[in-house]
Amino acid sequence: MITALLLGTLYGLVIGLIPAAGATTGLVILFGFLSYFTDPYLGVIFCMATVAASTTGDTYSGVLLGIPGANSAAATMVDGHPLAKQGKATYALTAAITTSTVNGLLWGTLTFALLPWYTELIMIFGIPELWGFTMLSLACVGFVSNKFWVRSIIAIILGLWLGAIGTDPYSNVARFTFGWYYLEDGIQLMPMVAGLFAIPEIIDGLKQGKATTQPHDTRGQTWDGIKATWKYKWDALRGGAIGAFIGFLPGIGGGVGDWMAYGSTIAANPKEEFGKGNIRGVIGPEGSNNAQKATSMIPTVLFGIPGASYAAVLMGLFMYLGFELGTPDLSYDTKFFSSLTYGFMWGTVLVAAICIALNKYICRLSYVPYKYYFPILTGFVIWACVQYTGGWEDYMILALCSILGIAGKAYKYSRPAMLMAFILSYKIETLTIQMNALYTWDTLMIRPIFIGLIVCIILLFSLSISKNKMEYS
Amino acid sequence: MKKLLALCLMAFTTVTMANYTLVVPQGPGGGLSVWSQIVATEMNKYLDEEIVLKHLPGAGNIAGVNEWHESLQEDSKVMVATSGGNAIKFLTNPSVVYDYDYDAIGIMNLNIIVAKRVGTDGSIFPKGLGHAPEAFAIAMLFCGPDMTMEQYKACFKENVNWVPGMKQKEFRLAFKRGETTGSRENPAAFKKHIKPVIDAGEAEMWFHHGILDASTGNHSDDANFPGYQFEILFEEKWGVAPSGEFYDAYKLVKSVRDGLQKAIFIGKWSPHAETLRAALEQVANNPDSIAAIQKKIGKYGWTIGEAGNKHVGVIMSMVTEDAYRTLIDFTQDALGEVVEYKESLVK
Repeated sequence: MITALLLGTLYGLVIGLIPAAGATTGLVILFGFLSYFTDPYLGVIFCMATVAASTTGDTYSGVLLGIPGANSAAATMVDGHPLAKQGKATYALTAAITTSTVNGLLWGTLTFALLPWYTELIMIFGIPELWGFTMLSLACVGFVSNKFWVRSIIAIILGLWLGAIGTDPYSNVARFTFGWYYLEDGIQLMPMVAGLFAIPEIIDGLKQGKATTQPHDTRGQTWDGIKATWKYKWDALRGGAIGAFIGFLPGIGGGVGDWMAYGSTIAANPKEEFGKGNIRGVIGPEGSNNAQKATSMIPTVLFGIPGASYAAVLMGLFMYLGFELGTPDLSYDTKFFSSLTYGFMWGTVLVAAICIALNKYICRLSYVPYKYYFPILTGFVIWACVQYTGGWEDYMILALCSILGIAGKAYKYSRPAMLMAFILSYKIETLTIQMNALYTWDTLMIRPIFIGLIVCIILLFSLSISKNKMEYS
Repeated sequence: MKKLLALCLMAFTTVTMANYTLVVPQGPGGGLSVWSQIVATEMNKYLDEEIVLKHLPGAGNIAGVNEWHESLQEDSKVMVATSGGNAIKFLTNPSVVYDYDYDAIGIMNLNIIVAKRVGTDGSIFPKGLGHAPEAFAIAMLFCGPDMTMEQYKACFKENVNWVPGMKQKEFRLAFKRGETTGSRENPAAFKKHIKPVIDAGEAEMWFHHGILDASTGNHSDDANFPGYQFEILFEEKWGVAPSGEFYDAYKLVKSVRDGLQKAIFIGKWSPHAETLRAALEQVANNPDSIAAIQKKIGKYGWTIGEAGNKHVGVIMSMVTEDAYRTLIDFTQDALGEVVEYKESLVK
């Protein structure tokens, strides 16, 4: 049991450290190795430890290299990487890991201990509320837009359009695919994230031809990072609560919770500057990601409805191990729930201990000149992006997304905004179609959660537009 | 890093040493993918050489099967797994080039089970090309016998809210919440997603399509859900057995989808077909192996080898001009799908 936990944690950490990899990619790889688990419960522990460790580990590449380990770490990168450039990588990473761990344990306990009690909650959150929540996420994009607000709007529109490539959810007809089969399932998330963020950063680093950050005195940074988490505990807990809520909602996985947590941190601290190395900008989103991973297990385990993309793969892995998520029989399998809890909770603790103990050594990675990283990083990024089919189409899409990312970076079109809009595009469209088919104004106006969300959306849009206009003028 | 490299090396070694390949036209974790993995694992126990899955996702399961049809099947050790969705797209989608003229290794002839919320007529139902058999059945149950095509179309549009834009996981949850009043699942998913709602007293069985008998082309009641076959319920409600062109179109579409719900094929004249069929026969005769598969799918049998080829032949013989035109007409006009009548398919 301990061996499965340890191996799962180490594997997850390694996967997390790889730029543009993450829990989903790490779990996909496991498909080939599950037959080695003679005891399926050990497989559950291994998988859950992998999820916990990769979520913590993917902070490293975002902070140290400016390349998000997974799309969920992209929000942390915005303030984390500038801190690393200032020689405060250990400080940023310790704060991130501490926040992640605390929220992972807190929400992990609430999730796994109270799993059977959540059934009722998800039943009152219907299509209009999901639509409202998704629109609220889009409103948050305003907060991550840069001061060139017209370009940000263009980036959002472009992201929405890219997200609409694939199959029309109304007619099931291919659209914007230019006759290319491959695009009928849409552009995959991984090449989009890697193209927008990883590749431009790698090329930029290569052009500069120097270390990501210069060696600094790291003494005291670990303790400072832990203290910062305590000092900004409300940002951490707010981020955790947002991530936990997003994780609970089926299908709104990925980086949505992190970006919302980041947006809320900015909104809660209007007098502070973000994007240039504010530790609160690290603590806010990092509070979200482990909490999100924990709570996304609720719809996954209870209903067999994956709460996020990694959870869909996890469902397949568990099925292979003989556990059918969402079946009533499973709720009587206490050993399964114990393994789930054991793997996630102890994986979270173990990876935190490893990371904090070895932080200053791992951070030295950032002192290595980019020219040494270039082939390794490029190799891993490409490898991660061609896991979909392995065909030339994967390479082509990665190349096109990379061109977009490089152009976006050069001409200051907000790449985070583009990515958010891309992720939310299909969701917004389908939920709008469903809401139109199932509800009328009269039936919508008697839903208090929906009305509350609409009010929040209006406030957020107004705030973001006025804020951006002020910056523009 | 070393660990990862070791894992990558193991993965690479596993793939390069594979002797049989099973092409799966979707990404890992999908229903067909999980089924394929379970079946391959069980078959590997009886083969000297290992079956390894190759995922070729894209275009809603079309791209992978097209690629296998056009080039990969030439390798006599490369098989393909197909789903009911592939079968229904074969009838209706202009992008499909595959044709089911292959050697069957094995086919699972399944069923789709339909439920409705208690106190409703089940008329708020998720739209989808794969749900066309349910639409035909609902139209006949609601509207009765002896109607013209235009009457069926009008009656369906008037009585059914065919809700667009819902993926499987979304319509499952919407049904549990009561936002939709009708839903459908394969037997395994029915047990997982709908039975708890029924057990809670919030939903009830509505109907199922029955099991295709390849020797007659007719459907019989499903022993897993006795008494709920569409034909039985229709006769109970309307006093006559269903018949006519509209019913023939329904029989065609349900036979194609459910009769080819889960299948494994290999290129014709592959010298390895018999070895693979023999392995699958052993799987089907081993209670432990079959239990592992039935845990996912439900208690349904296999049609293996030549019997599978015959099964496909019976299904294809049902593509008559009238039934097929009716299917395309209704699917296009009443269900709002973009579909194409393929002259070449008509027997």
